[in-house]
Amino acid sequence: MIFSIVIYSAPYTTQSASTALHFSKTLIGEGHKIYRLFFYSDGVHNASSLTIAPQDEKSLQAEWDTLIKVNKLDSVVCVSSALKRGVLSNEEAQRQGLTGHSLRDSSEISGLGQFIDAYIHSDRVISFG
Amino acid sequence: MTKPKKMFTFISRQAPYGKDRARLCLDAALAATVFEQKVNYVFSDDGVYQLLKQQNGGSIGSKTLGSALEALDLYGIEDVFVNEASLRQRNLNSEHLLIKTIPVTNIQLANLILKSDYVINL
Amino acid sequence: MTTLHTISKGPSSKLLESCLSIARENDALLFIEDGVYYSSELASESSIPKHQLLFTLEEDIIARGLQHSILNKFETINYRKFVELCTFHEKVINWF
Repeated sequence: MIFSIVIYSAPYTTQSASTALHFSKTLIGEGHKIYRLFFYSDGVHNASSLTIAPQDEKSLQAEWDTLIKVNKLDSVVCVSSALKRGVLSNEEAQRQGLTGHSLRDSSEISGLGQFIDAYIHSDRVISFG
Repeated sequence: MTKPKKMFTFISRQAPYGKDRARLCLDAALAATVFEQKVNYVFSDDGVYQLLKQQNGGSIGSKTLGSALEALDLYGIEDVFVNEASLRQRNLNSEHLLIKTIPVTNIQLANLILKSDYVINL
Repeated sequence: MTTLHTISKGPSSKLLESCLSIARENDALLFIEDGVYYSSELASESSIPKHQLLFTLEEDIIARGLQHSILNKFETINYRKFVELCTFHEKVINWF
């Protein structure tokens, strides 16, 4: 079956991003397809590249990054959520005249159209928040 | 080639201002209209507080959500429902509400969800 | 036509009440994250109609030390079964 996953929460503050990751890994393990990961609201922090996890803790951002790359997933962070939270791609940072960027290259910035499109093209959309 | 229209039902269950959920739900519903999908919008639980008249988000440096809800009509979302039981539990009635809404019972709501292709529950 | 409802906050959230107000008889309920505390509380057992299927997520149960407090009505499942439930039911509604 074709799934999409929507993540509304930042890593670490609540368990949901971690649940979403575990669920996504299981989906792939069971032979299902993921059409899109969509990070909305605080969820955009899952795609940040400027993070360092303590040695005895897992980096959720790094795990998402690996999952996306290994399985060539489509991963989108919501533009309006991302920009105001400081999750910016290189191109976006340059456009805004900012010196740093913080979005992992495994995700791209796009609009809510991608959220609706994910519903239209998936058999199931599962939300975690 | 165009796909047949799908029915989206958005259930907005959170009060405005304290969290961003009410705004997320509204923005997502407006995005759905751009895809020319059938969109239902439901206010339920604490979400009915979004409908109160005389809101002024400016007093806490926020945009006024109540005014933003007028976009539902502008974007052609006509099927805007309010959970009757949620209103009653909060001592509210239709006179307190900012925009025109269709009161529904829990059973009607369950049927609406059944008919919907997608349910976004925020 | 049935729906899987996932509930991911504990009893103080009142999410179960909201869910049950619109859930249908043959729907399934899956409790995850802090939602698993519902599966150890007698109050939640009595409020759930008999015909609804109740599941609770093993990983979250074990993490919280609830393995011996799960009420009989609840079936403990793992992530693979979580995925399977999502495919079995035509719709999934997440309560969080």
